[in-house]
Amino acid sequence: MVMKLAHRVAHIFFPRQSNNHKAKILHPSGLTFLILIYLLYQLILTVLPRISPSVLGYASNIFPSEVIRLTNEKRAENGLAPLEESSVLDQAAQAKGADMLNKGYWAHVAPDGTQPWKFFSDFGYNYRYAGENLARDFSDAASAVNAWMNSPSHRDNLLSPKYQDIGIAVVEGKLAGVDTTIIVQFFGSRYTDTVPLVPVAKAQTINNNVPSPVPVVVQTPVPQSVSMISPFSSTKALSLGMVSILLVVLVIDGVVIYRKKITRVGGRTFAHLAFFGMILAIIIILKAGQVNLK
Amino acid sequence: MKDITKHFPHYFPLIGMFVAAIVAFAVFSYDRSFEILISIVVAVFYVAWGIIHHHLHHDLYPEVIIEYIVVATLGLVTLFALIFRV
Repeated sequence: MVMKLAHRVAHIFFPRQSNNHKAKILHPSGLTFLILIYLLYQLILTVLPRISPSVLGYASNIFPSEVIRLTNEKRAENGLAPLEESSVLDQAAQAKGADMLNKGYWAHVAPDGTQPWKFFSDFGYNYRYAGENLARDFSDAASAVNAWMNSPSHRDNLLSPKYQDIGIAVVEGKLAGVDTTIIVQFFGSRYTDTVPLVPVAKAQTINNNVPSPVPVVVQTPVPQSVSMISPFSSTKALSLGMVSILLVVLVIDGVVIYRKKITRVGGRTFAHLAFFGMILAIIIILKAGQVNLK
Repeated sequence: MKDITKHFPHYFPLIGMFVAAIVAFAVFSYDRSFEILISIVVAVFYVAWGIIHHHLHHDLYPEVIIEYIVVATLGLVTLFALIFRV
């Protein structure tokens, strides 16, 4: 029984006569099997929120004050004045976040055409300049701010000398059935502020109509300690495991074939190694969380 | 191994493309559409490279082409699954 299992494992992972001197997992049929496992797992991740809504999600630990501190740190590094936290913009950002969760969208402009500037106006923020950055599913504030800094349009907002105030909201809820953490970052300067008119690329400038302010209770989110399966982290773990196994099998394959001087019809082992090496590097680079470019 | 040293020039564009893809993913980490595009381009390039390489070495057979297509598909599925889960 044990010997049979050992032979089976050797057949799958080592080049030998039984598998035509190529590990079975490296045959097109073996690789196709891996693709199917992968697709099945993705199907489970897609279906699971409908069956058990509280299983999947992104647990985060983000405080608005930390986002503001890091934003001002980046501004200071670039010789810019720090932004003042505005409780009005905090409320406006909170309302924008709640709007996204209530209407189930993830964009600067709502499906019904509501612009982000409406939230500024709703809370009586009489802006001269206004800007918005969005991020979701980051595990900490630093990752989100770094992602904004890496995106030219978000970076322009974050480092714009036109803004004097900042408002942050971290809202948690469900988007497409998955627990999500959204960070809404509002920038602005009021008409009454004395801001030098320095042109800044892509900083949005909108004329303001001043409606009456609407009071809203702002809730400071408490970091979750709930244990959930993160769709991204679990997919990343599966990918890392699968590609690592393939790389090890390919190295063994290359060494055995070279030493035994076996000639066979098939793809180049070194090329496959390089390809999966690249895939492994990209898997490591990819991080959870996204910023909105729309 | 002999194959690598013998046909070193063939591997230059391949490795160059892979390094460029890794750098692109690191630099454009904020742009999901671009990451999708890079993934597709690299997968197609890999299959094309395999076909040309084996054709030049007179060992191009249907099973070889299928192998490159399946390897590229597995890589593409892996990257897509992660990109769309980000």
